[in-house]
Amino acid sequence: MPPAIAASALTRTFGDFTAVDHVDLAVEPGQFFGFLGPNGAGKSTTIKMLTGLLTPTSGSIQILGEDLFANPLEVKRSIGVVPEGMALFGKLTANEYLNFVGRMYGLDKQTTELRSAELLDFMGLANESRKLIADYSHGMGKKLALAAAVIHGPKVLFLDEPFEGVDAIAANTLKTMLQSMIARGATIFLTSHVLEIVERLCSHIAIIQRGRIVAHGSLDELRAGVQARLTPAVNGQPSPEARTRLTLEEIFLNVVGSDSTGASHHEQELSWLS
Amino acid sequence: MAQLDPELAPNNAWTADQTRAQFYAIACLRWRMLVNGFRRKGGTGELIGRIIVYPVLAGMAFGPSIGAGIAAFYFTFSGHLDHIAWLLWGTFAFCQLLNINLGQPGSTFDPTQLIRFPLRLRNYVLIRLCFGLLTPANVIGSMIAFAIALGIVIAEPHLWLYAAIALLLFNKANILFSRMVFAWVDRWLSTRHAREVFTGLIFAFSIGIQYLNFTFNPAYNHGHNHDISRRVSFILSIYHRIHPLLAWLPPELTTSSLLSAARSAFVPYLLSSVAVALYATVFFATFALRMATEFRGENLSDAANAVSAPRTAKTRLAAASTAFRPSPVRRTLLSPTVSTLLAKEFLYLRRNLGLFMGLVMPVVLVFFFATRLAVRSGGASWLFPAALAYSLMGIIPFSFNSFGLEGAGSQFYFFAPLRLRDVVLAKNLVNILIAVLEIFVVLAIISYVAAPPPLWVVAATLLWVLTTLLVALTFGNRRSLSAPKKIDLTRATRKQTTGLSALIAVGIFLGSMAIASLLAVAAFFTHLLWALVPVFALLAAAAALLYGRGLHSIDRYALDHREQLFAELCKAS
Repeated sequence: MPPAIAASALTRTFGDFTAVDHVDLAVEPGQFFGFLGPNGAGKSTTIKMLTGLLTPTSGSIQILGEDLFANPLEVKRSIGVVPEGMALFGKLTANEYLNFVGRMYGLDKQTTELRSAELLDFMGLANESRKLIADYSHGMGKKLALAAAVIHGPKVLFLDEPFEGVDAIAANTLKTMLQSMIARGATIFLTSHVLEIVERLCSHIAIIQRGRIVAHGSLDELRAGVQARLTPAVNGQPSPEARTRLTLEEIFLNVVGSDSTGASHHEQELSWLS
Repeated sequence: MAQLDPELAPNNAWTADQTRAQFYAIACLRWRMLVNGFRRKGGTGELIGRIIVYPVLAGMAFGPSIGAGIAAFYFTFSGHLDHIAWLLWGTFAFCQLLNINLGQPGSTFDPTQLIRFPLRLRNYVLIRLCFGLLTPANVIGSMIAFAIALGIVIAEPHLWLYAAIALLLFNKANILFSRMVFAWVDRWLSTRHAREVFTGLIFAFSIGIQYLNFTFNPAYNHGHNHDISRRVSFILSIYHRIHPLLAWLPPELTTSSLLSAARSAFVPYLLSSVAVALYATVFFATFALRMATEFRGENLSDAANAVSAPRTAKTRLAAASTAFRPSPVRRTLLSPTVSTLLAKEFLYLRRNLGLFMGLVMPVVLVFFFATRLAVRSGGASWLFPAALAYSLMGIIPFSFNSFGLEGAGSQFYFFAPLRLRDVVLAKNLVNILIAVLEIFVVLAIISYVAAPPPLWVVAATLLWVLTTLLVALTFGNRRSLSAPKKIDLTRATRKQTTGLSALIAVGIFLGSMAIASLLAVAAFFTHLLWALVPVFALLAAAAALLYGRGLHSIDRYALDHREQLFAELCKAS
């Protein structure tokens, strides 16, 4: 079976600046894949290229074995996307928007209406039937964007910061939905700065830094790698520190390094802070 | 790490230097935003657009100023100083109209963001006031006031000081009035419903002005001077009746002060001038009151007011089919994708009162215009082409920024399984359908108020409209993708396209008009008027070919320009 998402030597430059530099990715079907990196590392650029929103300077992308550039319509039919800006239409109501999106993905009218109603009910937006999307709060917009991304039952879902600005109750609803999608065989590619959520949801993780993949594997593999690097075994036995289970945040900081963004952490240099 | 300047430490008192530094920083910010605007992709186009548009604006400033100056000289020289009131009322009305049509400051930067900085209220008010000083309306209003003062001084040099002070105070009151009104209007327009009501009022006001223009302007009323003079007398009688009230308002008070100065009555001059200054103070205080509320951090937007209603228990719907069911294939003229896009476009049109009225307005004006001109010209055959050309002017600019209203939503078209050709086609079909609707309405109006135009005129005009529309759509589609402009729904007065796109739209329209006029003149002198139909048919066929080729390559073009599209449309408001 081909990987759900495969990128090979994916590169994107903006003038002299290389935002994504020869990235190779392989996400197997059914994986909940977390894509992490510090600010400006190339996460959004990568996800934009994987979803057809940005042309790569070089490299290839395959989704479920189909080449994105050779067969864009077929690929887009099988993916769902929540992009950075949510891609909502402010002058429509939520129901009108979902009906529009469903029809654009080729669903028949009856199925679209049924799924729209079901999704709005699930997301707690059913009582906002007359409100225009322009009048929605940020969190409501996120929920609607996710509903729109899944209405056609995509096999691969790309989510760029889906939990940003979403309250705890809504976040829990979304997590439940995403986990049930994984249980049914979908593949989810997620970027988020909330590492606790990524740790709870994702089985596999890649970390990008300065446009290059610096770590890639299952959470346990990454944890083992970092632990081995941090605390080498003493007399053949793992040290006491190594027995402590590392959190994703610790793994991330270790892989990326505290100076990755050029920020200094010497507290004495900010001694004027009260 | 460098030590922080001890003067900036929070325990020290805030200094005047620090305040000056804040003002300087804000001035720099405004300047950099202006300059950086030209550095973005498409910035050169914008610069070219401004270079072309600014002389037009200069004409709008110098024309009325020179006219007002000459009139002021004439009134003063001929001993009718009291007529200066007409000029001042005209200046006041002109400035308010310009403010509505050319916009208020803050379109590139939300000045309420400044409240997060350690600004004193009085400085904040001052900064907000300064933000509005260099609007076109205020600059033009000041130029006109200066020209009136100059006209008076040239006619009566001994009045120079009085005229200068009186006109300065009038100008101050005028500027502060518009700043006060628009500050409060912005507060009232903070919700969508209010904006729609306001747009409706502007629409009604504009139609009212046009109605008065067509009813009372002698240029449209030849042969009906008796009716006109009767109506003008009626208006004058109303004016005389309300004059005692108007006498207490700034334009009349300024005129009173000038009359007093001419009579060397200094106390009445002083009293009138102080009264105008008091008006300016009241306007400023009302403006400051609004700014003080802003300064305290109010947030009136719809998003801020978005509170989820408590969920009511709903019966769970039966689970929709989990299997992917493609749409059944139906034999229709349009594909299901284009039909769905078309339905969405009509929803957008219905929900956007400003856009909708912008399309309806030309037809209403055609009605006024045709009613007057049909009586004068007895149903001339040029009436239908002229009316249709006027209506077309309202439709063409909309195709030059097709994605502007959708903002970040435009990304959907690129990640959904769509061809951009279908999206663009749906948007173009809306334009074409509106044009068709307007053609029918205009034809009905002309046939009703004058006479049905000859068949060859109808045929030739329709073919010309089709040609112009197809050429405009071809270029408009490209400009929509390569030079989009995010349309801010929170502003009642806004530009629908970039400056250069608007110029291209006008250029295409005028070019097409020129070609059509030349052909019509040639046909007239060769007595081959019927030949216009096949000639325009050929032009329409050529335009259709051009449009078809443009549409065929639009997917590639869209992919090449999507970054420019997203950079503009996905930017934060």
